[in-house]
Amino acid sequence: MDQVVAEFPPESSPMKLDLHRSRRGFLILLTALWATASQPMAIVAQESKANKQAIAFFEKHIRPVLVQHCYECHSAGSKKIQGGLSLDTREGLLRGGESGPALVPGKPQQSLLIQALKYQSFEMPPKRQLPEAVIGDFVKWVQQGATDPRVASAVAKTEVPAPVEPPGIDVAAGKKFWSFQPITNPAPPKTNNADWPRTEIDRFVLAGLEQNKLAPKNDADARTLIRRLYFDLTGLPPSPEEVAEFSQAYARSPRTTLETLVDRLLASPQFGERWGRHWLDVARYGESNGNVRNATFPHAWRYRDYVIAAVNADKPYDRFLTEQIAGDLLPTESPEERNANLVATGFLAIGSKPNAQGNPNFQMDVVADQIETVTTAAMALTVACARCHDHKYDPIPTRDYYAIAGIFTSSETLYGAGGNNMGGAPPTDLHVLTIQGGQTPTPIVETGEEPTKGKKKGGNAKGRAVPQYPAGTPLAMGVRDRATPADCKINLKGEARQLGAEVPRGFIQVCTPGKPPAIDSEHSGRLQLAQWLTDPAHPLTARVMANRVWHHLFGQGLVRTPDNFGLHGERPTHPELLDYLATKFIADGWSVKKLIRSIVLSRVYQISSEFDADSFQADPENLYHWRHNRRRLDAESFRDSVLAVSGQLDYSPGTGSVLVKLGEVLIQDRLTPDKIHQSSNLRSIYLCILRNGEPEELTVFDLADPSLVVGTRNVTTVPAQGLFLMNSPFMVQQGERFAERLLAAQNPQGDLTDAGRLGLAYQLTMQREPTSAELQRAEAFLQSAQSNLATDAPEKRQLRAWSALCQSLYSTNEFRHVD
Amino acid sequence: MLSRRSLLQSASCGFGYLALSGLCASQARGGEAKVSNNNAANYPLAPKAPHFPAKAKRVIFMCMRGAPAHVDTFDYKPQTGDKEHPGSVFKFQQSGQSGLWISELFPELSKQADKLCLLNGMNANVPNHPQAFLQMHTGEFRFPRPSVGSWVLYGLGSQNENLPGFITINPETRVGGAQNYASAFLPPIYQGSAIGYVGADISKATINNVTGEHLPHGVKRSQLELLQAMNREHIARRPDANLESVIESMELGFRMQSAVPDLMDISGESQATLDAYNVGKSKASGRSLNDDFGRQCLLARRFAEAGVRFIEICHSNWDQHGNHRKDLAANCEAIDRPISALLADLEQRGMLDETLIVWGGEFGRTSLLTKDNGSNHNSAGFTFWLAGGGVKGGLAYGKTNETGRIAVENKVSFHDLHATILHQLGLDYEQLTYRFAGRDFRINGTEPTRVVKEVLA
Repeated sequence: MDQVVAEFPPESSPMKLDLHRSRRGFLILLTALWATASQPMAIVAQESKANKQAIAFFEKHIRPVLVQHCYECHSAGSKKIQGGLSLDTREGLLRGGESGPALVPGKPQQSLLIQALKYQSFEMPPKRQLPEAVIGDFVKWVQQGATDPRVASAVAKTEVPAPVEPPGIDVAAGKKFWSFQPITNPAPPKTNNADWPRTEIDRFVLAGLEQNKLAPKNDADARTLIRRLYFDLTGLPPSPEEVAEFSQAYARSPRTTLETLVDRLLASPQFGERWGRHWLDVARYGESNGNVRNATFPHAWRYRDYVIAAVNADKPYDRFLTEQIAGDLLPTESPEERNANLVATGFLAIGSKPNAQGNPNFQMDVVADQIETVTTAAMALTVACARCHDHKYDPIPTRDYYAIAGIFTSSETLYGAGGNNMGGAPPTDLHVLTIQGGQTPTPIVETGEEPTKGKKKGGNAKGRAVPQYPAGTPLAMGVRDRATPADCKINLKGEARQLGAEVPRGFIQVCTPGKPPAIDSEHSGRLQLAQWLTDPAHPLTARVMANRVWHHLFGQGLVRTPDNFGLHGERPTHPELLDYLATKFIADGWSVKKLIRSIVLSRVYQISSEFDADSFQADPENLYHWRHNRRRLDAESFRDSVLAVSGQLDYSPGTGSVLVKLGEVLIQDRLTPDKIHQSSNLRSIYLCILRNGEPEELTVFDLADPSLVVGTRNVTTVPAQGLFLMNSPFMVQQGERFAERLLAAQNPQGDLTDAGRLGLAYQLTMQREPTSAELQRAEAFLQSAQSNLATDAPEKRQLRAWSALCQSLYSTNEFRHVD
Repeated sequence: MLSRRSLLQSASCGFGYLALSGLCASQARGGEAKVSNNNAANYPLAPKAPHFPAKAKRVIFMCMRGAPAHVDTFDYKPQTGDKEHPGSVFKFQQSGQSGLWISELFPELSKQADKLCLLNGMNANVPNHPQAFLQMHTGEFRFPRPSVGSWVLYGLGSQNENLPGFITINPETRVGGAQNYASAFLPPIYQGSAIGYVGADISKATINNVTGEHLPHGVKRSQLELLQAMNREHIARRPDANLESVIESMELGFRMQSAVPDLMDISGESQATLDAYNVGKSKASGRSLNDDFGRQCLLARRFAEAGVRFIEICHSNWDQHGNHRKDLAANCEAIDRPISALLADLEQRGMLDETLIVWGGEFGRTSLLTKDNGSNHNSAGFTFWLAGGGVKGGLAYGKTNETGRIAVENKVSFHDLHATILHQLGLDYEQLTYRFAGRDFRINGTEPTRVVKEVLA
């Protein structure tokens, strides 16, 4: 036991003598404790003048506590070193145990030891939390560099193997995979049938059909075509008048009639409300945090509106991506442009975040969501897999992940004070938008990291002030660069406390064409990330977007895994066509509207969805497009169509969100999602997308999970849908509105019969006249229903019978599907 | 024109498929699941063969939200004199032939001690309710992952075509809310159907939209007939298995309108049964209303009989930071008789062997600290118990240290628990994967996991 503490050099100042005395005090204690330990421990003090004081501090305030409260389980003297963590040597502390290094000198908040003492992650010592003053000593000690004179022999006993960095991947070999190959510009192939193709796209498709001894179905009729185009481009049904007009004109001059219609639909504001929603699916758009602490995001709607406006304006896709990743770093010429650019970065901020409390990986979890969203949405690569290890299938080493992670750790994510409700996530600023007149309001309280003790109104336990903005300040979620950008260290096994080598900020090597843009030390590198992504030579960006567009127009992509172009994704059914479209997309200035236009004007888009036994036998999955795919109306199209048919749809763009009034609150207890949702006749894209509480009329029809990047929605058939169609207040109410519309309808002669009303009902829902059998059946139903409702007053009886009929029409497969 | 039969065959599904399409069918399964020509695989709720012969057919999970005090219920720690961990404040006694130590708070349940398999070595890594609650249900708190009930339904399909396969009664609205019974990336068909929510009156709650009073039954019937006539005419022009499945599911939805309320109507149960389950008797405890938990247990039995695969019931709240002694006793009183009645009922019906009962909360607690009159969170060691479903009864497996603070022997994590639940249902947690966004996901993520074979009968 006499070896426990080495002698210190003599000290001269009275203060130090004092320290020395008190050290003697704890020596007694320490010796007493040590009497129970099985092995002696050597502690050698190596003091230099510079750290004398620091060592004194350690000896007075730190070592005794470690000895008394920690060594029992965390030293060479322990029966078993718990968690692989030794606290009896400096090396042991720095190396840490199973959960990573116990401390980061200079950074108490990042030090596991401090978190454990504060009972924030682990609760150490387990018996009882140490007094605040003692914890304060530890914080101070770590803050000042965690001087620790102990060296040791004890380390050998720990059994935790030091985590090693992943070995890396042969990226050059990986580049041979199809999706990492440069995009080519193939010439459209020659086809045996030279008459059928109308466009170059048709030649690619027909060649595939011919190779597989298949033939395309006949062209769809005018009524099918206009319905298909309306739903695909606007998500709404055409009116009976539009159908009639189009059909007549189409019979005379199909080509120009079609072009006129397509151009009109592409130019309509409803186009952005339809295609903006497609992007919101991959942008995992949500207006609350979800996860375990479901705080509202009352400013998220601005990002939604930004997307709709960008799609309607046909903002070039490369620019669209750039704004979402680095809008805050772009030069702007007007306050409106500045606002839009800031709002665009909401793309990176609206993700669902885990609890921060007890979660040392919180920041890296936020970064992981950003990496996953950017790389999946834009590149259809599962880069996120490389967080913990080199990617198992795709040539993405962990180093590449942390090269990109450094870009995001150099950026600050602005999600607001919702953080206060998000289990310990520090509240953040928000982007303050410019109001009319060019002013940018300033927050009343600037955020700062002044530590305050305990919980304070307007702050959180971590002491960060919540910025207060003057009432009515327009705010937006988003990102901005940190003051001091820095490269990121590899998190071994994805653990933020187990740090490996630092990786210079950069990009995914396997899809880096030529020399990547250089990231300087002044910036996060987001702008360069956007430049790299939107480089026309990037092998994935244009392909992935062209494929997403194809997917939405045909119900399946040329690559049928639109979110995965890696090894585990599918291979393209028409690789040349995909490259042709990607090349054309870039050449057309990344115009999504032009891309859509060229596809819907192709003949293959316009063929019938009819069944054909032989073709089905040969190609049951319709890989080669021998027919058009019949598709179910998605959640938004169904709801919007119901409202359009009943005459209730409000075509005006939504303004804000129901959350604006509510502010940043936690959704729980009595504040359940159904209390937040308000009935609305606006288009579905404007409904409040609360995570874990999406509007029922959308979730029941497979709305995309707003916490995940979703390029392909599920299409399920569940009885809950049947129950919704039969009994939900929404359907019952809309059935009644539809019936009222029919009953109020009149013809010029003023003698509209029930048959005439039924004709109108069919025109509105199915864009066709009912057959005589259908008429008879419907009339019989009306009659029997009215006799079943004999106790009602005649008018009410009539309305209820018609409402029931209208509900049936809404529920039909014909209404709910597009041929 | 093709006949119905031939068109269905031409759409490569045939009547075998139709017979199977009890509850529903899906057009495209999951995000990126391959579109298969095999329609049995395309029908997501068809009963599926397990990986190996199953011991249990279904699960009843009794979720004790708030973290029940293990040292005062099922992990006996005599008073130690330790200031921080003084030990149980309630008396314990050895019960049954097995001599399991069970707290005096469970006078009824202790009579059935030989059915219980205590997992005294449970441990979790986060002593915070929200994360731990989500981990208990999904294994993960950082990302949305499917609930264990969703995995079970995905793995085995449904046994009843008129009911959802995964039902959660009066679920928590906090601590993750719907994420605890959501299917995440699994197709939504596998999500739990919620009935009510914590604190709701279960005698009035039901599945959304299952009833509608806007029309008399006769009109609804003829309304459905009208709809189906239109649908059949439509499909006659378009052979399509997916359209056919919609027709079927509308019929099923219609049948559910009577099946669900019938099943939830407990008025036909004998007075003796109602008494045994405390229906109409017990008082409110925690956030749960009067006889709420008894009703839940009775409903769980009825759903189990009807073939529901995964049934979760919930009692809240067990977070006794204050008033520990009294509130804990009230909670135990609220659940003691109903659980006992359920075990006895299942046994009497010959269903206990094939029904795995799982009881527990997101973590445990320190013992009562007199100065606070409350107890604190304790995730490093706590207790779950299992019963029925092919587990050993009368067994205490695993140990915490002398204070109950930390699991020291035969530890079981939530991942282990999930793997064990799946195993009893005949599912290998390593084989039960789902491809999403290019990755094969399984319930335990990448965490080291084991089936707790030592507790299996």
